[in-house]
Amino acid sequence: MATNDATLLRIKHQVLNEVAKLAWEGKLDEKRNEIPYNIIPGPKAQFRCCIYREREIIRERIRLAEGLCPSGRDTKNVVQVISSACEDCPIARYVVTDNCQLCMGKACQSSCNFGAISMGRDRAYIDPDKCKECGKCSQACPYNAIADLTRPCKKSCPVDAITMDENGIVVIDESKCIQCGACIHGCPFGAIDSKTFLVDVINLINAGKRVVAMVAPATEGQYGPEITMASWRTALKKIGFQDMIEVALGGDLTAAAEAAEWAEAYKEGRKMTTSCCPAFVNMIKQHYPMLLENMSTTVSPMCAVSRMLKEKDPETITVFIGPCIAKKSETLDLNIKDNADYALTLGEIQAMMASKGVELEPEENTYQAGSVFGKRFGNGGGVTAAVLECLKESGESTDIEVLKCNGAAECKKALMLLKIGRLPGDFIEGMACVGGCVGGPSRHKSENEAKKARDLLIKQADGREVHENLRNQGLEEVAMHRH
Amino acid sequence: MRVTICIGSACHLKGSRDIIAQLQTLVKENHLEDKVDLNGSFCCGDCVNGVCVTVEGQLYSLKPEDTKEFFDKEIMGRL
Repeated sequence: MATNDATLLRIKHQVLNEVAKLAWEGKLDEKRNEIPYNIIPGPKAQFRCCIYREREIIRERIRLAEGLCPSGRDTKNVVQVISSACEDCPIARYVVTDNCQLCMGKACQSSCNFGAISMGRDRAYIDPDKCKECGKCSQACPYNAIADLTRPCKKSCPVDAITMDENGIVVIDESKCIQCGACIHGCPFGAIDSKTFLVDVINLINAGKRVVAMVAPATEGQYGPEITMASWRTALKKIGFQDMIEVALGGDLTAAAEAAEWAEAYKEGRKMTTSCCPAFVNMIKQHYPMLLENMSTTVSPMCAVSRMLKEKDPETITVFIGPCIAKKSETLDLNIKDNADYALTLGEIQAMMASKGVELEPEENTYQAGSVFGKRFGNGGGVTAAVLECLKESGESTDIEVLKCNGAAECKKALMLLKIGRLPGDFIEGMACVGGCVGGPSRHKSENEAKKARDLLIKQADGREVHENLRNQGLEEVAMHRH
Repeated sequence: MRVTICIGSACHLKGSRDIIAQLQTLVKENHLEDKVDLNGSFCCGDCVNGVCVTVEGQLYSLKPEDTKEFFDKEIMGRL
């Protein structure tokens, strides 16, 4: 995956692999303390100032892999700071660089409303006590001499949930954080990551429980054109999952229920938002609670498939697998009945497989549960396309206007417009990641890198309609609302 | 009111899912959807006793068969 640090991913996956390996063997309690020494044998440091800090980072990562808070102080957030890894990057946001010509125009000075800029001997100077970080000087300078040095973590956060403590170490404001996971890959030092359910899922498989995997539609194409949904099913069964269902089928279920909801809302002149992206749902709950009544009450595709499985066998433990971090927070919302029990990222499931010596292998695409519309749910605009297809199939009007929000920034803007009654459209499709789920923070390949393989795989699927698919599988009665 | 129930594997094997299902039903029956917020929690490491349940941050150790009594006392009692 295109990322800002290859070392970082190596370390991260090494920790997950070691933890998974010990969990499979049932030796985690006994040998947990050996992992930092196996990964960082010393005496030379590999990526930080010394081996002691490196080992502490590994220790905090082990805690996260086990679902604990790295610091030992228990907080509810899924996304957590690995404080020993935080580099306390400089916080003065706007800095005058060598490009400054100390020119006669002094656009920086005249653009500043707070009198923060004075002229030094060689270049302009920004008084940090007066600077309000508005950015006007940076835009005004004709030489691009004023650099915006926002910390990468802070820059990546769409809801301004990242602050610093008095020592410059990152602190996540949990009342604002929507668990989207953007900061995890935003930090070039790997100082932010999420708690995992890895050990829990392994323990339950080891205990002989009926654990069923549900693979996200966005996964298709992530590992090249030869790794099909059938490949996933085979590999997951090898490591002890009883079965695997593609969540594209849940996409069909959600689209059908949401189409019925939209058709009714449209007739009544009510504006509405989607509810399948968990980070978008968190954004509404935490930042725009007044809009909760505008949110669709249809459950997510993940929940739909989980309910379907639990209806057949209430003892089933359902585990979602995909590129999403926020899904972990959705599984923690117990106000929704029979949702998935656990959610794992692609990196976490890879560690579970690698530690058992299992790999995804090319296999003919013999398994299809969802329609092409369900499979496209994980693309920006995919939910809208599936809902429109359902409206068309049931003879409803498709003459509706949907604001398709690609990424959290666009979601925020649309919700703001809805709040003040100026939404230019009837519905909002909210996707917190740019590109949709395929652009999720735990993707294996970027949207563009995976596009060719994804298109190729989806092209092989048959052209069944959404309603037809649900009818043929006897799924028209699955409970599809939150409460 | 924030109520959390541990969904870690140790608590799962001790019946946390049964407790969750009972609490969901009790909340619905008593029409407390707007007042009681049910949340799962990751393992907090206190796996030696029963299932870890918290009410407004206070930790309790629960067995599935004690759920109704717990609900009446600790949840209804606080509303």
